[in-house]
Formats: sequence, C-alpha cells, structure tokens
Amino acid sequence: MRPSNVTLTAPGPSDNPPVPERPRHTHHTSPRPLRARAARSLPSIFMVGPALAAIVAFILIPVVVAGRLSLTDWDGFSDNSKFVGLDNYVQLFHDPDVASAAYVTLVIAVVGTVACNVLGLGLAVMLNGQGRVKAMLRGLFFYPHVLGAVIIGFLWSAILSSEGAVNTLLTAAHRSKIPFLSDPQWALAAVVFVVIWSTFGVNVVLYLAGLQTIPESLLEAARIDGASRWQTFRQVVLPMLAPTVTINVVLVLVQLLRVYDLVLAMTDGGPAGHTQTYAYLVLSESFLNGKIGYASAQSIVLMVVIAVLAVVIVALRQRSEKAVEL
Amino acid sequence: MVSGSRRHLVKLGAIAISAALLTGCSTGSDSAGGDKNIRMLVNITPVLTKQFYKDLVAGYVASHPGVKVTIEAPTGRGIEDTLKQQLAAGSPPDILAGGQNTALAGQMEPLPDEQWVKDAPFAEASELDGKVWMAGTGVQLQSLVFYNKAAFAKAGVTGTPKTVDEFTAALRKLKGAGYTPLQTGGEWTTGAQALMMANPNVMNTEPQWYAKRNKGSVTFAGSNYAKYLGVYQSWIKDGLVPKDANGIKYQDMINNFTAGKSATMVMGNWLVASLAEAKPGIDAGVFPVPTFDGSTPPQAANPAMPYSVLKSSRHADAAIDLVKYLVSDKKAITKALSVEGNFRTGYSYEASPLTKDIAKLLDEAGGKTVAIGPGLGDNSSPAGFPAEFNTQVQSMYLGTTADQVAGAMDKWWAANAPK
Repeated sequence: MRPSNVTLTAPGPSDNPPVPERPRHTHHTSPRPLRARAARSLPSIFMVGPALAAIVAFILIPVVVAGRLSLTDWDGFSDNSKFVGLDNYVQLFHDPDVASAAYVTLVIAVVGTVACNVLGLGLAVMLNGQGRVKAMLRGLFFYPHVLGAVIIGFLWSAILSSEGAVNTLLTAAHRSKIPFLSDPQWALAAVVFVVIWSTFGVNVVLYLAGLQTIPESLLEAARIDGASRWQTFRQVVLPMLAPTVTINVVLVLVQLLRVYDLVLAMTDGGPAGHTQTYAYLVLSESFLNGKIGYASAQSIVLMVVIAVLAVVIVALRQRSEKAVEL
Repeated sequence: MVSGSRRHLVKLGAIAISAALLTGCSTGSDSAGGDKNIRMLVNITPVLTKQFYKDLVAGYVASHPGVKVTIEAPTGRGIEDTLKQQLAAGSPPDILAGGQNTALAGQMEPLPDEQWVKDAPFAEASELDGKVWMAGTGVQLQSLVFYNKAAFAKAGVTGTPKTVDEFTAALRKLKGAGYTPLQTGGEWTTGAQALMMANPNVMNTEPQWYAKRNKGSVTFAGSNYAKYLGVYQSWIKDGLVPKDANGIKYQDMINNFTAGKSATMVMGNWLVASLAEAKPGIDAGVFPVPTFDGSTPPQAANPAMPYSVLKSSRHADAAIDLVKYLVSDKKAITKALSVEGNFRTGYSYEASPLTKDIAKLLDEAGGKTVAIGPGLGDNSSPAGFPAEFNTQVQSMYLGTTADQVAGAMDKWWAANAPK
C-alpha cells in the first residue's frame, strides 16, 4: 500500500545517465526500423493469429450472419428470403412461448448457478487436501461432467419416468408414484436437479484449484491469531477466492442460459412444453419449424442478454474485490 | 511491393484458408477413379437399421460397377432435422429415404413421368405443382387399435367396438376389470395417437382437410377434431387413460401392453414387430379406430420408406436410377415391406397372423386411406404441426379443455399456414 504522506515531485538528479529519446522514424525518412519492428512482432502475430482467426471465423462472422438473418423470414434452405426488418424482434417480445421459455431458463440459470457454486465451494473446502477418500470423491463428483448431456438426459429420464426406477420402487413399497416428468412443477424441478448434478463437479475442481493458490502463511497467521474455521473461511479463504467465484459464476450462468441438449433428451420440452428452455426453443424454431430468421432473432437476443449479464457480474465482482483490497 | 517475409505470410495464409475450405466443404466426394458415391440419408428405427439399408442396396451396387452407396444416419433429432441442417451447411445427401415434409419438396428433383413412379404408393398424393417428388415403397397404416384378447374376455367385452361410444363403454368395462383401459404415453406419442384416432373421423368426409385448413375454409373448432378432443377429455376425466401419461415412455407403453397391464393401445402397423419380439408376449388382436357413426373408417396412412432425390445431387441420374430400383425391384420391395409389416398391392410375403389381420382391415376399408400428421402434397400441414398438436394434447392432461385446444390449434395454423 502507498504511504499517504508521500508527495510526488519532479524527478531529481540521478546517478544514471539520461536516456536519449528514441528517434521517431517515418516511411519518408527510412523504412528499415518499420521492417525491424514488423519482424520483431512476427512471432506474436503467429501466436495470436490462429486464435484471432478462430474468433473471427467461429464467433464474429456467425454473429454478423445471424444478425442479418434475423431481419429476414428465411426458412434455412430455400431461395425465398424476404427482408422483414425488425418484425422478428417485435414478434419475439409478444410470443408466449418465448416468455415461458425465458422463465424456465431463468429458473434453471439462477437456481443452478447458486446451487452449483454453493455446492462446489462447500465440497471443495471439504475435499481440499490429501487422502484416498478425498481423491476418490473428487473423481466421483466430477464424473457426471464426463458424460454427454444427452446420455445424462436419457439416463435420468429412465430413472424418473412414470414407469422408471424410482416410481417402480415406490410402487413396490406401496407408495404413490411421484409425477417427476408428468407434472410441470415436478418436471422443472427434475430438470433443475439434473442440471445441477451434471454441472457442479466442474465447480468443485475449479474451487479446489483456487484453494491451492491461497498461501499457507495466510491460513497459518489466521490460526495463530486464534480465528475459528468459519472466521478463517469468511475472512481469509473467501476473499482470496473472489476471482475464482467470479469465473465460476459467469461460466455456470452462461452455460445454464444455453441449456438445451439435456432438456431434449430428458423431457423433450414436456409435459406440454413446460420445460422448454430458451435455447431449446431456438432449436425448435430453426430446424423443426423452419424459421431460421425468427430463431436468429431469438439467438441474438440471448447473446445480448448473456453478454450484458457477464459484463455486469464481472464488473460487480471487480468492484467488490477492490472494496476488499481497500 | 510486398517484402519477402510478407509474401511468405500471404502464401501461408492462402494455403491455410484453402486447406480449411477444402476440408470444411468436402461432401464425401467421389474417388479418384471416377466412381459415383451416392449418399443416402435414411430413417433409422429398431428394425430399419443401417445394416438393413446396406443389404437393401447391395443388389443394386453389385449390378452397377462404379456406383458406391453410402448410408448415413440422422445426426439431429430425426431425418428432417438432419436434412435441414445439411442443406443449411451446403452438404445435403443425394437421396432422402424417409422424409415426407412437403416444405422440403422444393429441394427435390422431380421424378420422371414414368410408369414406375406412377405405380409407387402415394406418388399421386405427394404431387406438388404438378410434379412428383417422392416415391414410396409401400403403405404404412396408422389407425389401428391393438387389444389384449384375454383382457376383453375378462371384462366381458364381446366383439370389437365400432363406434366411439361403444369404445368408451368398453374402456369403462376394462377399467372395472383392473386394466389400464387405453395405453397412452408422453414423448411424441400423446399427439400422434390422438391424430391416429381423430384423422379417420375428420377426413372420411373431408379427405383434403389440411388443404382446406390452409385456405381457412375449415377449422379445428368446427370439425370432428373438436368433437374427438371432447371425447378424449372425458377419457382423461374418467381415468380411462393413465393420468400420468405425459411421463410414460414409448417403450414403457409397449412393455405395459405386452405385460398385460393395459388392454388397448393405438399405434401403427410397425407395432407388430415389437409385439412379436416382446417377452412375455400376449395374444393380441387388432381393429380399426372407431368412428362417430360406426361406419368403416379409412386408414390414416403414410407412404412406407419413401425416397426423394435432392436437386443438388451431382449424380441425379444415378440417384433416380437407384430410387427406381428400390421402389420397383420385386426383391427389394418385398424385403422392405416384410421388415416393418407394410403393404403394397401385388406383393406378398410370409406375414404374421396379426399382420394378416391388419391387411384384412385395409381390404375392408376398400383400400381407402387418409392423411396422417403432416399430410402429403397439396394436402399438407405447415411444418411443426405434429409437435404443436402433441404439446396441445399433452396440455389436456394438465387441465386445458378440448375447446381451448381446438382454438389454440386454429390460432397456430392461421399463424403458420403458407401465405
């Protein structure tokens, strides 16, 4: 930290000889230094180039194309494409399916983000350190993430369906069936549960990595000062993990705002469309209903929402991190 | 002037872009020897496997040196989704085997005005703007009620119901005897079964109903759809269908039926293969879906294993020649018909007793069929109709009334009908 009583003054005499100002060259005077600079930056261009090319090819161009398509009524393959201006965007904000899908997505994203981070952080703290059991549990919690979303969807669909494993056991025990996939509230709860189950393992790993970066000396100092485990966690561990929390929250939120494959395999949006997520709707409108223009408008809106949320979260976290530093 | 190092960079970039374009845009091109590689996107089911299609085209490949046929399975939700994705990506196949969405007809090469096309089932019905773009192998029936003979006997149901009222009365008796009266389920089956039951009742008097709905001269609310949905609502209310139907998987429906838990199940003729393989099996019978007036209904039907040739095909002639083989070669047709238990006048195969009973139903209906699901040719629904109808019928299990469903379908159709 900078001492408050220090005033900044003009630099005084120094033992070091003055550094002469580097002459500025222009194309007119001599091309040599420019070439030299270009030659020096060549390795950087080679290193950044592929990533830049990938971003342009796979993000920038598709976004521009989607933006253009969102102003048309194109079906995706025919030659008949009509410019419709902002009609798709107007329709989008009056579409009850969009409102319903946005609500489902919001529930999944908010509940999932909170749960994945609380679970991930809690388990990471518990599993931090050495030991066979801890290593095994770390692998166990991460395992669902290794499975594909479609496999997970079909698996849980088989477990939770009306004739699935859980209800078969309940029936055998002379209990009533639970309408996991046939009741809208239960189905949404089931989807949220499976989303969390399949996601939080990554958060455990990321938080474990964050915990490894906390200097042992800080924890030792807290112990010497007589801080309890909770106080150490609250006053030392959590502030030190702030950047990891930011990354985890943003990553999970962005991932959950785009959930569709798991829903597709688990409920196919049912019952009666009550588990349709926004991304699922985009997919249905584009390839199932042949409304590429409308689906593009939906995609653009989703992209903007995700970008705004990500920027807001990062900004808020940065502000709170700075507040902690001060 | 470009310096040496910059020239080198430009060359490297050009090579990289060319390589990326070449690999990215490759569509499984022909071999260097000039052989024709015909890509076939096929519909995969438990019986229509990739190997089945390979065996099906083997005879043609053997007699056509230089022609290679590559069988491709769907990568999306189904054959239609996959084709749309491939079209959007600029890499469509040469032949489509199984798609029936007329929204895609514009992408297909018109089939020649030849006898083998005219003889193909549903060729005339699939005509759009005077052009035939699809040739079926056989006829697939979809308005069949499979029933457990032992359950009917136990419940005292004698004979098979002919009217909707008789059917409802039979379902009540079956419920009293301890059975799930009518086996329904979730996924795609909720709406599909409703269409299988409703369409013969709607289209027996209005065969071109979808075309008329596109023009706005008929409505769901004013048709037998609404009447049928009303009956369906009463079945839900009276517990004649499982109240948790939306959570039941298709395979579980079949399992419940073959295990003797449920007494009836509405499905297409392909169910026969599943019933034959099921352990334990049941003694099942079949009758046509009942009608409001008791008349013999037409069967809601689809072309079985239909083929189309993509306009973009670089080997359109060879592809059409292969389609001709698939829909006119006796051996190929018989193989295709027998695997799913489908039908075609003039072709016979060793069928199961249940398949023979289904054939009799088609004979009794005088061979009369009506559209199911998306329809065909000019008598087609807008894209997405089966999915929307499925959602609406599922909502009836959650309290939506028949009138509301009919109204919602009219609203949806008006918003999506071809302009």
